[in-house]
Amino acid sequence: MNPLAGADAVARLLAAVPKAEIASSPVKDYPTIRLAAPADLLLAARLLKGDLGFMYLEMVTAVDWLGPVNLGGFVCGGNSNPLSRKPAAPPVSPVPGPGVSYRPMLDLLWSFGNLGENRKIFLRLELPRDRAEVPSLTSLFAAADWQEREAFDLFGIRFTGHPNLIKILTPDFLQGHPLRKDYVHAKDRYDEE
Amino acid sequence: MKSEALIVTGPGLEMDTMFVNLGPQHPSTHGVLRLGLTLAGEVITKAFPDIGYLHRGTEKLMEARNYHQCVILTDRWDYCSAMPNNLAFCLSAEKLMAVAIPPRAQALRVIMCELNRIASHLIFLGTYGIDIGAFTPFLYAFREREMILDLYEKCCGARLTYNYIRLGGVAADIDSDWVAKCREFLEYFKPRLDEYDTLLSFNPIFLARTQEVGLIPKEAAVGWGLSGPNLRGSGVSYDVRKSEPYCGYEAYDFDVPVGTHGSCWDRYFCRVQEMRQSVRILEAALTKLPSGELMAKGLAKVPRPPAGEAYAHVEASRGDLGIYLVSDGGVAPYRIHVRAPCFINLAILQEILIGKKVADVIAVLGSFDIVLGEVDR
Repeated sequence: MNPLAGADAVARLLAAVPKAEIASSPVKDYPTIRLAAPADLLLAARLLKGDLGFMYLEMVTAVDWLGPVNLGGFVCGGNSNPLSRKPAAPPVSPVPGPGVSYRPMLDLLWSFGNLGENRKIFLRLELPRDRAEVPSLTSLFAAADWQEREAFDLFGIRFTGHPNLIKILTPDFLQGHPLRKDYVHAKDRYDEE
Repeated sequence: MKSEALIVTGPGLEMDTMFVNLGPQHPSTHGVLRLGLTLAGEVITKAFPDIGYLHRGTEKLMEARNYHQCVILTDRWDYCSAMPNNLAFCLSAEKLMAVAIPPRAQALRVIMCELNRIASHLIFLGTYGIDIGAFTPFLYAFREREMILDLYEKCCGARLTYNYIRLGGVAADIDSDWVAKCREFLEYFKPRLDEYDTLLSFNPIFLARTQEVGLIPKEAAVGWGLSGPNLRGSGVSYDVRKSEPYCGYEAYDFDVPVGTHGSCWDRYFCRVQEMRQSVRILEAALTKLPSGELMAKGLAKVPRPPAGEAYAHVEASRGDLGIYLVSDGGVAPYRIHVRAPCFINLAILQEILIGKKVADVIAVLGSFDIVLGEVDR
């Protein structure tokens, strides 16, 4: 896909949505727009769906920028096989690469597709980890239903206006949101002693 | 479809509803899917798909593994067609690292993915027949699938979880003997496709059970984010191989079959026709197979892609499989998100099952061709 093919849509969005800007950290090769506040999301989504023909909500996801993953979030049982080698140290380094800054923020990402004109556009929005709340897109895109539930389950992002915001992948007894970087696994009845 | 069930309403005539659990251990849910159905008589008034029984947290596991180890985990999403999973992950990482893939590796990726598409659609054809009550096609479908698995075994040693497509290329080469065997399979397979049409596709009982059932209009299919044959069955011609060609798909000549009104049969028949197109692609790819390297040069043993974000998607057997990859410059991906087609395709069930009869649930569910490994990840 030619990334410039969406230039018109990008310009329309930037003009209509206050304080929206071209993201400084784009998804490689795709037009990426950063929104300034959660309230702008519905405005941008309505414009994309209604006027610009982006009817296909392809993806809803998030990134937790807190820092390297806490290894306490993994269940690491001992291997009873006497021939198994000790696993190498997990490849997690505390120092980020150049251009990356760790911060207590969740970076949300939506991807919209225009199937007829073969274009794609990404929207992103940064939210504080402790107050991650954003309007739900379920009223515009049915596809947002389960994907928002997934983000709620794994990241703890609250989508206001979602008709059925309940856990979807993790079991009911699981505490916390596993894809947050500081998630620590609490031993439950399915873990080995 | 016009519902034949009569619901009598009026004072004192309220119908008791019944709650039925379909699954998670049920042969027709194709894995550990649980459907909570509320019934009024024989008609479904509420459907609640419950998933997560196979959730292994691969996205989290990958955050503590290096990129080569991640490829192994990708096999476990859609285990009925693992090659496109390998490919989608590798494409996204290669995009970050800006690696150029040698032409022979590109062609091998195409060959393996198309073979996997046929193998995966054969499972669908067989099991969907069983869902509807036709046992025989299953045996035929698995006979053919076995030949593909033998080809895989000969090439990379594995039959289900291949770990064949690696960062920078592919793991093993094919020889002239393999090419001959593959051609032999294609020649054998082409007439079999006609056989399936006489056996199942145009079987009057099968048609009656699927042709007017589970209709999904175009707008609903796009709105719910369906992809792959489920979207094309509703008449939307969207195929990632055409819209954003990868691995040199633009050089192959093939059609994108679409259905007309989005019924279970349309989704079924899209897959059958896709197998013919895959055969076309395979024949072209085997004919002009370039020679040369299998792996890109200059790739570190433990890759550390530069910090950044990439999104790559492929037309996997079950739809648009996308990988969103974030690197912070470390040896492990900082974050990976899988846009799993089965997961997104399944969400529409809660809407389209309403008003259907219990007997049609299996026909509708089967027509989506889900693999729970990918739904739950």
